Amino acid sequence: MTGAPLIDWLPRSNAINLLAGVFLLSALYAVTQRRTAACITAYTWNSLSLAAIAMLVALLTGARHIGVAAALVLVSKGFLIPRLLRRALARSRSRAEAEPYVSIQLSALLCGALVVIAFSQTRVLFGEGVSILASCLPVSIATTLVGLFLMVSRKQALAMVVGLVILENAIFLAAVSLTYGMPLVVEMGVLLDLLVGTALLGMMVGRIEESFATDDATRLTSLRG
Amino acid sequence: MLPLAVAAPLTALLCLPLARTRWARPVSIAGSAAVLALALALAWRVTAGGPLVAARGWLQADALSALLACIIGAVGLASAWYAHFYMARQEEGHDAASWTGGRYDALFHGLVGSLIVAALANNLGLLWVAIEGSTLTSALLVGYYRRPGAVEAAWKYLMLCSVGIALGLLATVLIYYSAVPLVGEGSVGLQWTVLAAAAPALQPHFVKLAFVLALVGYGTKAGLAPMHTWLPDAHSQAPTPVSALLSAALLATALTAVLRFHAIAARCLGPDFSGGLLVFFGLLSMAVAAPFMLIQGDYKRLLAYSSVEHTGLVALAVGLGHPLAILGGLFHLVSHALAKTLAFLVGGSLASATGARRLDHWSGVVQAAPALGALFVIAGVGLAGLPPGALFLSEWLTLAGGLAAGRPGVVAAAIALLAIVFAGLAFHWTRVALGHPSKHFHDSLPAASRRPLWLLAAALLLLGVYLPPPLRHLLEQAARVIRP
Repeated sequence: MTGAPLIDWLPRSNAINLLAGVFLLSALYAVTQRRTAACITAYTWNSLSLAAIAMLVALLTGARHIGVAAALVLVSKGFLIPRLLRRALARSRSRAEAEPYVSIQLSALLCGALVVIAFSQTRVLFGEGVSILASCLPVSIATTLVGLFLMVSRKQALAMVVGLVILENAIFLAAVSLTYGMPLVVEMGVLLDLLVGTALLGMMVGRIEESFATDDATRLTSLRG
Repeated sequence: MLPLAVAAPLTALLCLPLARTRWARPVSIAGSAAVLALALALAWRVTAGGPLVAARGWLQADALSALLACIIGAVGLASAWYAHFYMARQEEGHDAASWTGGRYDALFHGLVGSLIVAALANNLGLLWVAIEGSTLTSALLVGYYRRPGAVEAAWKYLMLCSVGIALGLLATVLIYYSAVPLVGEGSVGLQWTVLAAAAPALQPHFVKLAFVLALVGYGTKAGLAPMHTWLPDAHSQAPTPVSALLSAALLATALTAVLRFHAIAARCLGPDFSGGLLVFFGLLSMAVAAPFMLIQGDYKRLLAYSSVEHTGLVALAVGLGHPLAILGGLFHLVSHALAKTLAFLVGGSLASATGARRLDHWSGVVQAAPALGALFVIAGVGLAGLPPGALFLSEWLTLAGGLAAGRPGVVAAAIALLAIVFAGLAFHWTRVALGHPSKHFHDSLPAASRRPLWLLAAALLLLGVYLPPPLRHLLEQAARVIRP
């Protein structure tokens, strides 16, 4: 790896470790927050740290396509998707927050366990990494699990969507840390699909409220058998 | 190949400004006919001249993709043709209230277009983008009607398939990761043709992990149990022509994505690992669907569970690994597409004739409306796997292939499950066909709406007794794509 002299003064792996820490902690913060608005804020931080990691990798490797991908991540995940989610939240009329399935304290404990499992198992699967991004892979696997946990432990439709988009961020981080991202055209297609998907989910939340007069997705039980 | 890839999206664009005019439906039918014609021409070229690669390696057409494109084209044309009558009737009624009023045709062709691109994609990244694109367009169609059931179905569908597809993305990343040391960075490392050729040299444990993730991810979309829970809701709440497209074409496309990963994994690890998983999930899907089919009174939900069962059978067939079983499995994709499309569309006519979706309201259909009754019986014969329906032949080939592969236990389990399903279908179908007609039975659709159904029924019965040589060559070559 040829480091760019531009930021050689920066202990680079430390900077990436720090950002990976922000990435994981923001996901964990979302789990400990009951209010959906706070979850969206956590997601925004999650996306910003993802974009920053990608940008740092682009600077260190000098690969332009990663830089473009980082900029696209910043615009779509750091700006547009949070905006879509906030707009869906603002339209929502129901203010009563449904209790999550699992208490906040227990959620934090369980997610801590998930993080430990992810870190130990990633090492078994992939060995000790040598690249500058060695710390990012276990973080991405851990965040995948945390995102899934957020999805299944919440009852509000919008909080589930936040879990999903955190999960997608984690898979993006896995792509960056394993292969420095995928070819640019593919990444553009993926980001476009994720953006449209989130827009549709935000729209569905509105329709759920209109049709069922609640944002509690667990009450959607008219179809059975 | 490029004209085929752009035909449906182009039709979708044409339909947008024409929405709510009398031109939308004719354009939609013409577009579907063009897609089918181009797909057949492509199949012809591929069987004669071997696989093609186009658009700098982003698209490719081997026998498997050509077969899939023909299925999508045929189902698309039948559905669009039927929709010309059916959706017009729906829009008159008060059932019409829809969220995206009038965009039906554009969304329909958006869905067909993403399926065709998924069938032709050589780049696994493009495959992912196309399959996710099909989720987005079909979610809007599942939630087309403004009623709580449709909203709920669309929500569950979009959420579950988004999680599934995210795991599919991880699978794509892992395959790419294992290929980069061999072929270098850039889109070459995602090309299926390159990966299949380089498969023996890929790192086995990453390929293993990638296959498991792809099986869970794309398997969610293909309706394999236990990730099938969204399917009965989505397929029963969508407008009927869309249900046909979802059950017959979309499931086949998603399953083919799994099979593409299976082909890489089998070349890298030997056929046992991925084949074993396909057999397991195939049998599980059949076992989960069978009891629901015995007790299901809602016709469209019954058909949706039947789709879970048939997807499971195809996965089982390919997992068995014997060339005969793979051939049977791929032929089953074709025959199931014909039978399921026919079953859904005839159900649409029966539902509008009786104003009910439940089977017990349809009894006596043979007496009350002989033409619809005959079509209904043919669809039932097809789905139950009775001769002379084509599903009898494809199921027979699959089971014979299983015996030839030396897996009598698996074959016995599959036969037992097929027998349960047969009992369920026979029970429902005899009750509806032979019961006393209800008083208010009035087929509100014109007789012309039955033309695509007769064509489907004829094809279903013909393929059961005679396999035309071009189709046989196509199937044989497609089977060799999965296992050389």
